Amino acid sequence: MQFLCSQAGYRLVQFLEFSIKNEDTNEMLFQLKRPEIPLNWEDIDPAEEGRTVNYKFPISFLQAKNIGTTLTFAVGPKELSSFRMIERHYFRDRLLKSFDFTFGFCIPNTVNTWEHIYEVPALDEKTKKEMVLSPGQTVSDSFYFVDNKLVLHNKASYSYC
Amino acid sequence: MGLLTIIKKLKARERETRILMLGLDNAGKTTILKRINGEDISTISPTLGFNIKTLEHKGYKLNIWDVGGQKSIRTYWRNYFEQTDGLVWVVDSADRPDRLEDCKRELKELLKEERLAGASLLIFANKQDLSTALSFEQIKDLLELDSIQTHHWHIEGCSAVTGKNLLAGMDWIVDDIASRMFSLD
Repeated sequence: MQFLCSQAGYRLVQFLEFSIKNEDTNEMLFQLKRPEIPLNWEDIDPAEEGRTVNYKFPISFLQAKNIGTTLTFAVGPKELSSFRMIERHYFRDRLLKSFDFTFGFCIPNTVNTWEHIYEVPALDEKTKKEMVLSPGQTVSDSFYFVDNKLVLHNKASYSYC
Repeated sequence: MGLLTIIKKLKARERETRILMLGLDNAGKTTILKRINGEDISTISPTLGFNIKTLEHKGYKLNIWDVGGQKSIRTYWRNYFEQTDGLVWVVDSADRPDRLEDCKRELKELLKEERLAGASLLIFANKQDLSTALSFEQIKDLLELDSIQTHHWHIEGCSAVTGKNLLAGMDWIVDDIASRMFSLD
């Protein structure tokens, strides 16, 4: 599937950090931090590379029952009157989890965080095994909307080993 | 996951529950938010925008919004009033007298807000671990809480550092929200 919009949204909002924690054991499962360089809101790199992230997780990741994801993002010089994220996770054609979160208003020139703590959808052992044996076939699409307009679309794929 | 046991009370409700945490800068809002979930509180910097914590459990959701309290950000608070079920007002009980006056004034302004009219109000008299802190009774008098007629309110002396009374306070506000919704049904 193609990307459904350009990356113009990076003039409005940029992601700084993403982490995943096992809420039951407090163990940090994953952490991705952007290098601390000054944010640029004018010249957006139009390169398509980087729009798809390939995550590699240890197999134990699939055993976590409750996880907490934290997204840290910066808002540029322009205020956002309505910001919303929709994300869908699939294994092959099967929808595993769907997120729909409305941040609403975002203050210009700010750094904001959203932590989401939830139960991982229960998967049978057979499916988990298939997911491990099929690297890259667990995927997600993240859609970001500003004022009901799609401004960013990113993809990710997941491997467990 | 101390909050989980509390939000189970909200099971009966269909829509998401929204709690808004406000207060002057350096009152301890973000520290409280992290502490109630057992997170590290050693490196907390001033909140420039917001921190949201969403707890999702068996299909029901609790969203807690912690919005920065610096003077330049306070003008944006009104953007977060919509659909608020509970307001948590955090006070630095060891703050300077003039700041406590600001604190009282800002709270009074909030309580006039139509969009917060139905919200339960919890006041956290934070930093009770400091020797210079006023007691929660003193904070209650100083903020003239007894004169509040428009909101269900409750004050809890607490410490985000030790964790004292944080869950008790959250328990009260979630209970109050849940019972109010129940009585509407």
